[in-house]
Amino acid sequence: MTAQGAAGEWVLLSYRLPREPSTPRIAVWRKLRRLGVAQLSDGLVALPAGPRTREQLEWVAEEVTDGGGSAAIWLATPATRAQEDQLAQAMAAARAAEYQAVIGAAAEAAAGDPAARGPAVRRLRNELRGIQRRDYFPPADRDQAQAALQELAAPGSDSARPAQRGRAGRSARTAARAARQALEEPA
Amino acid sequence: MKWATRAGIHIDRAACAWLIRRHIDERAEFIFVTDPADIPAGATAFDIPGAELSHHGGDCSFETILRRYDLTDPVLWRIAAIVHEADLDDERYDAPEAPGLDLVLRGLSITQGDDDILAITGPVFDGIYAYCRRAILLGREPA
Repeated sequence: MTAQGAAGEWVLLSYRLPREPSTPRIAVWRKLRRLGVAQLSDGLVALPAGPRTREQLEWVAEEVTDGGGSAAIWLATPATRAQEDQLAQAMAAARAAEYQAVIGAAAEAAAGDPAARGPAVRRLRNELRGIQRRDYFPPADRDQAQAALQELAAPGSDSARPAQRGRAGRSARTAARAARQALEEPA
Repeated sequence: MKWATRAGIHIDRAACAWLIRRHIDERAEFIFVTDPADIPAGATAFDIPGAELSHHGGDCSFETILRRYDLTDPVLWRIAAIVHEADLDDERYDAPEAPGLDLVLRGLSITQGDDDILAITGPVFDGIYAYCRRAILLGREPA
């Protein structure tokens, strides 16, 4: 069991791919971007450790090897909490920017042609799902984006629902640590 | 025959185990390992990085097994599309069912052990097979 406030475990992928041909390089880069990895340095990326994140990086490692490169998977713990906070904050900020883009697009669609709203909702919901899947340290923007799309889909419907969680205002680090503690409590 | 895969199974491994038992080896015995080095001699590995029956060229392991064993049943390939999207979610196929199935398997992985998950998902995939088969024969969604 993790001590209260201790840094968590991360899964790391270290990899090296030949510069040419560029196709496997680009495919790997796209996949890593889709997973929302933190770039620690050139050829070294990280995700919070979990069965799913570990598996996802294992498949990328396999793809690197298939593409003529070399790759390895590591489980690691940041030596200091500050180091983990830095990672978490950078990841949260990257997601926040993506959520804000969705909020902007929703506002644009709300002001535009009402007939185009349906398709916009579908497209933006799809986009939102993709961002949520790579969101490991949810910023307050996550709930805002969700609410903005709900408002676009069915004006007035969001205020009728209870809020999902009181995430707003909490730092990514505090939220992640609280979630970890809640999950470690015996059921 | 013995078949080995990684412990902590999710959609792709559950679907592969069902596929193996129903279409390849009726008496299949499954072993779950945490390290590929623990795969017993003589066991066929699947959905483990480095194994032949694994992810290859953008395919998930379920698709790899279909190709490797020349299984051309269109119903199985429809299921393959759902499993692929539930596992990889790369929008290669149109499979709106995938996120729901993924949620079911993720939930089961929290509450059940691997053997129990196979016992539960066997009949689930039988049902999915029957549904997809009917949909393909009718050319529309079954009532």
